[in-house]
Amino acid sequence: MKENIIDDETIKQIKDFFIQIDNPTEIILFTQKDNCPSCEDTRQLLMELSNTSDKLTFSVYDIDVDAALAKKYNIDKVPNIVIAGKTDNDILDYGVRYAGLPSGHEFGSLIREVVQVSKRDSNLNKDTRDYLGGLTKPIKFLVFFTPT
Amino acid sequence: MLAHQFAMESPFVQAEAISAYDFYELSDQYAVSGVPHTAIIDSEGKLIGTVVGSAPESHLLDEIKKALTQ
Repeated sequence: MKENIIDDETIKQIKDFFIQIDNPTEIILFTQKDNCPSCEDTRQLLMELSNTSDKLTFSVYDIDVDAALAKKYNIDKVPNIVIAGKTDNDILDYGVRYAGLPSGHEFGSLIREVVQVSKRDSNLNKDTRDYLGGLTKPIKFLVFFTPT
Repeated sequence: MLAHQFAMESPFVQAEAISAYDFYELSDQYAVSGVPHTAIIDSEGKLIGTVVGSAPESHLLDEIKKALTQ
């Protein structure tokens, strides 16, 4: 059996942190059968993460096999993680994506954003919300980070 | 991540955190030399803004406004 990526002490800390999760949240991972060295580690990491709360669900898709779904979520690279809200009948896509293995500081960021998405609230100032709410043209942020 | 929070407020905004280690060619394409490095692109993939380093909410908002009025 493959060793866990997340150690027991960290699992405990994550479980305690995820008490803050308000609403069901879906973690969606897009992978690729070949040409994706970090896909398997990312899949295992997210599997272990999603097991820490019964309000988290985890699904895995292949960017080639599930091409229509990948297009729907605007996925063009793998591994790619979508953090979305989940209702009984729907997935709420907030445009939150992570490309690559989320290690170190970014893993902490991902955990915080799972909670943020679960609250269905961005926690931004009113002026910012008003401006963003009035946008009519698509824009995308590409935020580059390095694993630390 | 602030950009993710921005994405939550509009169906027209998407924010993707990208590992420069896993996607080094893309990092080179955007001339990433220090992180975090935020590239703002339009629907056609054209670069319309750049923020190097961490930015507070007001600064990132100003950058979007500047990018969209070009």
